[in-house]
Amino acid sequence: MSETFAVELLKVVKRYNEIVAVNQVDLNINKGEIFGLLGPNGSGKSTTLKMLLGLVQPDSGSVNVLGIDVQKDPVAVKQLVGYVPESPRLYEFLTGIEYLDFIGDIYGMQTEEKKNRITEYLKALQLEGREGDMINGYSDGMKQKIALISAFLHRPKLLILDEPLSALDPRSARIIKDFLHQLKRQGVTTIMSTHVLEIAQAVCDCIGIMYQGNILALGNMKELRAMSKLPDSGLEDIFLKLTGTDDIRAVVEELAK
Amino acid sequence: MNWKNVLSLMQVERKSSRLIRGKKLTKYRESGFFAYWPYWAGLALGIAVGVLAGIIYNFTSTADPRLHALFQEGVLSIFLSLPTLVLVYSLVFTTMQQIQRSGVRASSQVPYWLPVTWQEHTLASILASLLGFPLASVIFITSAITIFSVFTGQVLTAVIASLAVLAAAFMASAITEILRILQVRFIGAVYKSSGRAAVWVRFIGSLLFFLVFYIIYFYVTSGGAVTFIQTIASAQTAAWFIPFVWLGMTLYSFTSGLLLQGVIFLSSSILFIASLFFFATLLNRRFGLYEPPAITISRGVYAPKTGFLGKLGFSTAEASLIRKDIKAFTRRRELMTIFIVPIVVILVPIMQSFGQTSTAIPPQISVLMLALPFLFPAAIIAMSLGNFMIGEEGQTVWRIYASPISAKTLVKSKYFFIIFFSIIVLAITGFFGFLMYSPSLRAIIVAYFEAVFLVFALGAISLSNGIRGADFTEIPRPRMIRLSWSLINLIACLLAGMAILAPFFPYALSFILSEIMPGLTGTALLDPLLAVVVSAIIAVVLTVIFYRIALKNAKELLKKAEM
Repeated sequence: MSETFAVELLKVVKRYNEIVAVNQVDLNINKGEIFGLLGPNGSGKSTTLKMLLGLVQPDSGSVNVLGIDVQKDPVAVKQLVGYVPESPRLYEFLTGIEYLDFIGDIYGMQTEEKKNRITEYLKALQLEGREGDMINGYSDGMKQKIALISAFLHRPKLLILDEPLSALDPRSARIIKDFLHQLKRQGVTTIMSTHVLEIAQAVCDCIGIMYQGNILALGNMKELRAMSKLPDSGLEDIFLKLTGTDDIRAVVEELAK
Repeated sequence: MNWKNVLSLMQVERKSSRLIRGKKLTKYRESGFFAYWPYWAGLALGIAVGVLAGIIYNFTSTADPRLHALFQEGVLSIFLSLPTLVLVYSLVFTTMQQIQRSGVRASSQVPYWLPVTWQEHTLASILASLLGFPLASVIFITSAITIFSVFTGQVLTAVIASLAVLAAAFMASAITEILRILQVRFIGAVYKSSGRAAVWVRFIGSLLFFLVFYIIYFYVTSGGAVTFIQTIASAQTAAWFIPFVWLGMTLYSFTSGLLLQGVIFLSSSILFIASLFFFATLLNRRFGLYEPPAITISRGVYAPKTGFLGKLGFSTAEASLIRKDIKAFTRRRELMTIFIVPIVVILVPIMQSFGQTSTAIPPQISVLMLALPFLFPAAIIAMSLGNFMIGEEGQTVWRIYASPISAKTLVKSKYFFIIFFSIIVLAITGFFGFLMYSPSLRAIIVAYFEAVFLVFALGAISLSNGIRGADFTEIPRPRMIRLSWSLINLIACLLAGMAILAPFFPYALSFILSEIMPGLTGTALLDPLLAVVVSAIIAVVLTVIFYRIALKNAKELLKKAEM
């Protein structure tokens, strides 16, 4: 296990019946890096992210996170990770503050630190005044903010964020993006999955593109451009070319008929 | 009215039962026959019951011709009371079904942005409420009476009664729809004005609502059904001005040869049903898209609480899980039924026996009656909570999976919650038991000890089964446990309960024998304290074994952690 890698996946396979969700994936993610995992729907991104946390068991291969074998000690891994799933379901019968208090306790935070951090985050993400409401009365964006705070609260060493900026207002989205950079400087690794390629291009140091369970391409923007032989293009063109979905014009013309 | 839209919306509701954990959603195929099995079963059972009742009727009428007229009259009174009976029954059942739906609004909101009229949406909702058990029971009743009427020669009456029964079921479902919309709109307003007390208003209100409906439900479906039919048959004509009995009055008028009166009641019934439908549509149009206000529980500065759980030796993670579950069981409407069912199961027989307790129950038997308030409610609560403690997490179970929670933490906190609430129930019901039966101090101590043994053992057994059979499906309502595991748990708890109480069986036997044969003395085969000790040993062994099984099952659950 390398000291420089936050995440190491070695020949990881996950099947759902006859569907191969993740196929022989090898992936190393450096510590203190913001890593973007991209891919079309059903390409295996969420399954890969869940395997990092022990939420999905691989059929074969090994998954190491922060030097710990996830299958051997998932609780130790979870203690070090902050996780936001895609469309997170929260305890709707709790208030926002009760939920965050619960999360702080689950991660064993000290009372004073928990109180201070919850107060800071609520203020930063403009949830002040609504923290005492039951979550079932929150909008999707407010729920997403609570989910994000619950991931950041215990100062994790690794953040696994599945579509973290969905439903957020522009101000909050900007705060989260800048905050991820700040955390990066503190040595925190972030792995995020997103369909918004502009965000990935702007935020991520390294990008992995998944397609049909395989990692098609891996590297920073410069390396991806070289790989796709599109020297001056943005991530969208590279993505579409690499995933073989660059026949957009034909599809649109067919639809417009 | 686009009937295709109505049918499509109903199909969506029916198909919601597909969301059962473990189904291969990638290649879902539905058997046309099995999709409708409750209705086929209702029909088959109805025909069988009709034929059997007909044969018995023929046999007894032939044996004693005097019985023939008596039977005819009795059957007629049953036919006449059926519409009102079905109305009450369906109303209770559809309302209970509606209440137990989860808070997930996503699926029910879909029609609101589709090109569906409010009439179509309302009609589909009314008809969909009848799907499942209410419709299966209506099919059972109508097929049974129609077949039976062939033997009694009352076919026309049976056919009309069947139509009236169907109309009554629709009427009940329409009322449920109205109640559903009103409940969303006006209870929302009550919560808003209640402020911080909203949670308690909701808790107490829901408990009272459940209590009333469950008592009616048990009364109608248990021994009270016969009395209920007799009451309806006799009181229906006196209460002719109440629209709910108009269907029954229509039948009564036609069978009594009062044609004009029959036509009036029939027209009134049709008008009443139509007005119910239009009122439901109106309410849906007005309040269908109403979003209940958020309940504000706390205001001001946030101050984390350490609580007394930490002082009891629980870690912060365990204490926070317990606190979270306490809030879940006092705030989630569908979980409140867990407290109500065992209480009602005990209340109904107690209420029914009220008239009889004064008539000299022998003291020995009265000691045995202590089981009713002392043992059963706490044991049932422990069993129910154990069953549901894991499954109640629903789709939010990802939070448990993704958090650094070990199997030991999970089981310890859930088990404590079960014991905690069961002991509270025991204290309350035991107090009522003391007031009702005035037992000796010795009997109270023994009853309390035995109840505690049952709570600990059944709690551990149910939790182990609840983890193994957990079902996190939430739509159309939280399932919490798979049916097969619920049945396994019931049998396991029954056997365990009998094993724990076995040392007391010789007492029960000697008490009963001494009553039947006063010559025999009620000599105990064992010293009562010895029986308590033996019982304790059995309970401890069962508790330890099943607690360990629960730990093993929890490890497995957290390891698989598939969402």
